[in-house]
Amino acid sequence: MASRNVRSPTGGIVSIVHRKAGDAVAAGEEIIFIECMKMEIPIATEHAGRIVAVHVKPGDSVSEDQVLVVIEA
Amino acid sequence: MGWEREIEELRARERRAREMGGKEKIERQRAGGKLTVRERIGQLLDPGSFHEIGAIAGKARYGEDGRLLEFAPANFVMGRGRIEGRTVVVGGDDFTVRGGAMDAAIGSKQVYAEQMAHELRLPIVRLVDGTGGGGSVRTLESDGRTYVPYNQGWDWVIANLASVPVVGLALGSVAGLGASRLVTSHYSVMVRGISQVFIAGPPLVARVGETVSKEELGGSEICSRSGTVDEVVESEAEAFACARRFLSYLPQSVYEMPPRGPVADDAARRDEWLIGAIPLDRRKVYDMRRILRSVLDRDSLFEMARQYGRSVITALARLDGWPVAVIASDPHFHGGGWTADSSIKLTRFLDFANTFHLPVVNLVDVPGFLIGKAAEAQGTMRHGARALAALYQAEVPWCSVLVRRAFGVAGAAHSNHTRLAYRYAWPSGDWGSLPVEGGIEAAYRAELAAAADPVKRRDELERHLNQFRSPFRTAEAFLVEEIIDPRDTRPLLCEFANIAAPLRRAGPVPVPYRP
Repeated sequence: MASRNVRSPTGGIVSIVHRKAGDAVAAGEEIIFIECMKMEIPIATEHAGRIVAVHVKPGDSVSEDQVLVVIEA
Repeated sequence: MGWEREIEELRARERRAREMGGKEKIERQRAGGKLTVRERIGQLLDPGSFHEIGAIAGKARYGEDGRLLEFAPANFVMGRGRIEGRTVVVGGDDFTVRGGAMDAAIGSKQVYAEQMAHELRLPIVRLVDGTGGGGSVRTLESDGRTYVPYNQGWDWVIANLASVPVVGLALGSVAGLGASRLVTSHYSVMVRGISQVFIAGPPLVARVGETVSKEELGGSEICSRSGTVDEVVESEAEAFACARRFLSYLPQSVYEMPPRGPVADDAARRDEWLIGAIPLDRRKVYDMRRILRSVLDRDSLFEMARQYGRSVITALARLDGWPVAVIASDPHFHGGGWTADSSIKLTRFLDFANTFHLPVVNLVDVPGFLIGKAAEAQGTMRHGARALAALYQAEVPWCSVLVRRAFGVAGAAHSNHTRLAYRYAWPSGDWGSLPVEGGIEAAYRAELAAAADPVKRRDELERHLNQFRSPFRTAEAFLVEEIIDPRDTRPLLCEFANIAAPLRRAGPVPVPYRP
């Protein structure tokens, strides 16, 4: 088991958080949407596993490379 | 009886040179997961095509009778060879001899390789391992003095950027001069795990108070995201394959034209799914690379610097066999907005395309420059202004396809507007100085302030203005020349490549390439 960070590829505002701590996620699954330049950018996890922590909520402003979610993969 | 004895000695010296730094050092190189420089050259070039120059240069020690006692070859192996039948210059550092650091012979051999590439108008591939001929404080003792540093051969290194394709492969820990030789190229590659690239390694960095591993300091993760190198691969074999493939799109020098490759894909191919490639919902993203693979020749997409400035995709590709330079937006990163990094990437790529006479195909979805405090702090407008300059200075044939948005200064920079607008728009086209959503507050400030219900008034205004947004209204005024069925894109781009081919002009360009 290793913990993996899901980082934001972009700065913007969190619009949707689909998952919460404890949820199981599949590789490639979209967990969060971030609004940037009037687009909704899906943030997917590269790794399958269980979500340990979700660090953001809708309305939060995030910067590039910020850790959004931690997954135990 | 002629000169047989001398030829025998020559062969003996050459054999000694092929032993490189000796068994033990070669074992250590292998234990580090690395090939020797001679294996590298063998794998990079067409089999048996290496013509070595200066093999017997090195350091010798003689006995009192004048007999050769010892010989250590110079730690830079170079010569000519062929890649897909075309002649190139190759020069590689031999890490098994004094860790690739500077010695008497290496400097002049490196200069020779660069000058040869320049004067014979041949591409050059540098295999960098170690300090790439850089200094070592050990020379203080051996020379009994120090020296004012200068960058030997840099005149040729820079001249080559404007005249022949230059490839740098990092095949070990690469520091100082080595890192500089790697990056002063049109295309650089490193191998995950065995290559690190930095100005100075962990021991020196520790002296300024940072304790880091080689990988943390200059591993592939750092270097690909920082834009220091263009590509990360998993093995040396892949690095050689990248170098060979990169060169296949380019002319031998700026005095020639990029050669037409195999015509292996149907120029009339129309992929049905393109009609739905762009989501109807303006807020939804899509896969630009899938679009590129569909409209370009099958398997011809060769992306450069994928991990850097990721809102802009830069790639070599072919259309009906003709090599082209491709620019496209990736909406997954900053919505495709131009960042400082993507502007720097674009500037370098446009200068590269212009240098080697590659027609440009630009698939546009640019919402503008990235906005906000972080973007301002990175000097986005400064770097963006340079990208605009590169674009307006480019002289190669140019075709833009507006697949979605073109807003603001960066959106306007999809082409040089003073040239013929060789341009197509998809029906998903959406353009202007400012998008309606963001522009209402600024333009209707007084009206909104005076409204009884400002939110309601804002929504009314947005609905009202959105009806003017149809690309057909722009086309009525001939402000966009042609709206096309996205499925027709490939046939039209292949037509462009064939029209562009005879328009390309050989020779050096007025704005020389900078790394």
